[in-house]
Amino acid sequence: MSGARYYDIRHVQGQATVIDIDNGVVESAASSFSDHAVIRALTRQGWGVLTVDNFQEPGRHDIASLVRRAASIASICNEEISLSPPVRGRHEVPALHEDPRDVSLDEKAQILLELERSARIPGISNTRINYIERFEKVRFSDSTGYEDEFGICRSGFGVLAVAARNGTLQMGYERRHTIRGLNIRHRQDLARQAAERAVLLLDARPARGGTMRVVLDPELAGVFAHEAVGHASEADLVQEGNSVLAGKIGDRIGNDVVTIVDDPSLHEFGFEPFDAEGSATSRTEIIRQGVLANYLHSRETLAAVGNGQAGHARAAAGEIPLVRMSNTFIEAGESTREEILEECGQGILLKGSRGGQVDPGRGVFQFNAEYGYLIENGECTTMVRDVSLSGEILKTLFSIRLCGNEVRMHQGYCGKGGQSVPVSDGAPHILLEDAVVGGSGDH
Amino acid sequence: MVHRISSSKMRWWVAVEIIDDILKAGSRSADEVEVYFAEGQSASAELKRDTVSRSIESRYFSLSIRTIAGGKIGSSSTSNPAEWQKCLDAALASGRLATGQAWGGLPGPQVLKGPDLSYDPAVRPGAAAVKGMLEAMVEGAMRHPVQVTSGGATISTGTVTIANSHGTRYSRDQSLVSASVEAIRENSTGYEFEISCSADFDPASIGDRAGFLAASSANGTGISSGAYDIVLSPLAAAQLISAVIVPALSGRNVHAGRSRLAGLAGTAVAAPAISVYDDPFLPGKPGSTRWDAEGTPTRKIPFITDGILGEFAYDLKTAYRYGTAGTGSAVRSGSGGMPSIGHHNLVIAGPECALMDEPAIFIQDVVGAHTANALSGDFSVELTNPFRVKDGTFEAPVRKAMLSGNVFLLLESITGLGRDRRTIGSLVLPSIRLKDQHIIGG
Repeated sequence: MSGARYYDIRHVQGQATVIDIDNGVVESAASSFSDHAVIRALTRQGWGVLTVDNFQEPGRHDIASLVRRAASIASICNEEISLSPPVRGRHEVPALHEDPRDVSLDEKAQILLELERSARIPGISNTRINYIERFEKVRFSDSTGYEDEFGICRSGFGVLAVAARNGTLQMGYERRHTIRGLNIRHRQDLARQAAERAVLLLDARPARGGTMRVVLDPELAGVFAHEAVGHASEADLVQEGNSVLAGKIGDRIGNDVVTIVDDPSLHEFGFEPFDAEGSATSRTEIIRQGVLANYLHSRETLAAVGNGQAGHARAAAGEIPLVRMSNTFIEAGESTREEILEECGQGILLKGSRGGQVDPGRGVFQFNAEYGYLIENGECTTMVRDVSLSGEILKTLFSIRLCGNEVRMHQGYCGKGGQSVPVSDGAPHILLEDAVVGGSGDH
Repeated sequence: MVHRISSSKMRWWVAVEIIDDILKAGSRSADEVEVYFAEGQSASAELKRDTVSRSIESRYFSLSIRTIAGGKIGSSSTSNPAEWQKCLDAALASGRLATGQAWGGLPGPQVLKGPDLSYDPAVRPGAAAVKGMLEAMVEGAMRHPVQVTSGGATISTGTVTIANSHGTRYSRDQSLVSASVEAIRENSTGYEFEISCSADFDPASIGDRAGFLAASSANGTGISSGAYDIVLSPLAAAQLISAVIVPALSGRNVHAGRSRLAGLAGTAVAAPAISVYDDPFLPGKPGSTRWDAEGTPTRKIPFITDGILGEFAYDLKTAYRYGTAGTGSAVRSGSGGMPSIGHHNLVIAGPECALMDEPAIFIQDVVGAHTANALSGDFSVELTNPFRVKDGTFEAPVRKAMLSGNVFLLLESITGLGRDRRTIGSLVLPSIRLKDQHIIGG
C-alpha cells in the first residue's frame, strides 16, 4: 500500500480516574478520557509514523490515506529496516477480584480518607494519598490482516507521610499498584508503616559515603536489576552502540548466582497480553547464571541484532513502540536473609527505593534508597537516611555474592524516550561486595 | 448540538462553538465553568547512529473542563472534543465529591496587550526541516572522534485557549523547536540539546558540544574522596534545583508542611548576591506567557532577592484557601493536565564572573537527580562528564565519582555564577560555582 512494505495501527482508548487527598481534603476526584492512535508505515527508506488523537476507527479508505501519509513522510529516512517474522499469541488478562468501576467514586474516596487518617500518628505533620485507576482498551492491527485487542485496568495508590521537628522534614512513602482490581481496602497497615518510618527518619543519620559491603532489600535489588542490567539489555540501545552490553552475548559478566529475567507475560504490573507490535510475550533470561544470554527485542531489533526474542516492544498510549522492560527480576538463590546479614558482617542494609537512572553507553548507574541500617557484626544497628549507590554495569554483577531465597515484586513506572510505562521490579535480598555508596554523613 | 470531529486538524470555529456550548451547558449546573483547549501539530525525526531512521507527524487535541459550585472544584479532560458533554458531566460529578473551600471566583477578563511571547510565526513543522537539523547535528558531532548513537529533532506549533463563564477568553499561539544528540567514544558518552520557540540555534553546535563531551571524557582518571570546589553546568544545576527548590517554592507545599522554606520568608536562604525569580515575560522562552493556566494575568515573582526569601507561588485554589492572592503561577503539564502550581521561567541571577580560573571539578550533568529527597534536600548523585578545570580550561576528565550534599545548602554555598546563562526547559540559569562539596571517588 502506497510504498509501505508493512503498516500497523495501535489504537488506545482510555479512561483514568485520579483521587488526590491532602491532609484530609479531597483535592480532586476526577475522571478523564483519552483516545490516541499510532499508525506506523515501513518503507524501503525507514519508518513513517503518524500519531493521531481522537482516532474514531476510520474506514478502509481512511486507513489507506493515513498509511499513504505515513509512508510519504518516511521519505526523509535513509535506513533499510528488516522485521523478524511475526510470532503471534496472547495471554489472557487476569480477572479482577473487585472491579474498580463497580465501586463509586464516593466510596473510594471514603476508603482513601480512612487510609490517610491511619498515617496521622504523633510527629506527622502532613499526609497525602494519590489513587489512580486507568482502563485501557488496546486494539492492534497490521497489514498482514492480523488484529487483536484487549482491555486492562491498572490501579493503585501511594501514601505519603511527612514528619517534622524543629525545621527538619522527613517522609515515608508506600505504594501498591496492580492489574488485579481494587486494592485500597484494608491497607491501613501500609499507611502506618509510612508514617512510622517518617518519624524514625527524623533521628536517622546521613550515611557515610565510600566503598563497602551492601545488602539490598528486594525492592531496591529489583531497581538494581532494572537500572544496572535491564536498560543496557534493551536491543535498541545495543543497536545504536549505546550499551556496554553490545557484543557481550555469551560473556560472563557476573557471578553464577546471578540470573536476571524480564517477563511481560507475568501477571504483574508490567503485564502485556501481547506487545505493542502484536507479538507474543514471554520470559527472556537476560543473564543466566552470570552469563549474558539474551537482549530484549522488538521485531526490528531482533532482525538487526539477534540473540533473544521479540515481544518486548511497549508504548504509552499515542506513542511509538520502544524496546522496554516489563516485569524484571533477579531469580531467587538459596540464602536466608539472616545468612546474608551474617555474611555481610560489617556494611549497610539499604531499603526502599526513590528511583534510579542509568547511562547505558557509559555503563554507569545510580539509584537511591529511602533509608537503611548500618550492619555491625551481622546485625542491623543505626538507622541511616539518604543513601544512594552507584556502580559500573560490567563490574557490579561480579560483586553479587549471595542471593536470598524469596523474591518480592514492587510496582512503578519507567521512563524512556519521553514515555512512561508501568513496570514491576523484583529480587530477593542480595549481598554486594565493594559497592560505592553515596552519602554525606560521618557514619 | 453534536459536532463531528475528524482526525484532521480541528477548524478553529468548531473549537469556538464547543467552548461556547460548554460554558452555556456548564453554567446551568455550576457557579462557574472554565474551558481549556489545546491543539497543535508537530514534525519530528530520530537518528539511529548517524542515520535518520524514523519520521513522525503528530496532531493533538485536548479539552479540559473545570466547574466550581459552592467552592467545590470539579475537573475532567478528554482528547475527543466531540464528547465534551461526557467530559462536562464527569467534571460536575467530580465537583460533587471534592471538599469545598473558600473560593473568590475565576478571573474576570482583562486587557492583556502584546504579542505572543512563545511563538515565532516563521516556525513551521516539516519533515525536511527536522531532517536538516539532524544532519547538522551529526556533522557537528563528527568534528570529534566519536560515534553518534541517537538523536532527535522536533518542530511543533499549536494554540491554547482558555475561557470561563465570566467572559474571560484568551488565546495564544506557541511554537517549539528542539533538538538533541548523544555521542559515544569507547565508554564515554556526551549528550547535548537545545529548546527554543524559534529555530534560533545552530544544530551543528549541539553536535559539536556532544562530540566534545564524549571525546574529552574518555580515559578519565580516578578521584579521591574529599571536599572539592565544584562548578555545576547549567544542566547539572537545573537538575538539582528542579528536584528540590522548585517544589519548595510552591505555596501549597509551604502550607501543607512539605517545604523546608516554610516560615523562612524574610531570612537568608541563599548566598547574599543570589536572586531567584519567575519572569513570565522573557521573549522567546518556552514558558513565557501573559496569562497562566487559570487565566490569571502573570507577573514577575521575586522568590529570593539578594539571598533573602521573599514570596511563594500560588494558584487560585491555594491562594483562596489560605487567604492570600494568586501569583499567576498555575501551569498545566501534559495533554489534558489540570492546573497546578509551577513557574514559567525560573531565573537564577547574580553577579557573573569567570568560574574556572581557580582549580575545581566541573560537572556537566548528574545521574539520578530525581532521587533527591525533595523535603530535606539531601542528595547523592553520580557525575556525568566531570573534569578537573584550571586557568579557564578543562585539564583532565574524571573517570567516576559521586556528589553528595543538600540542595538547600548549595544555594547558600554559591560563590559565583558564570557568564554562560542558558535555558534548560523552564529554567534560565548560568553555571554555578560552589565551595567545599563532598565528592566520593569510585
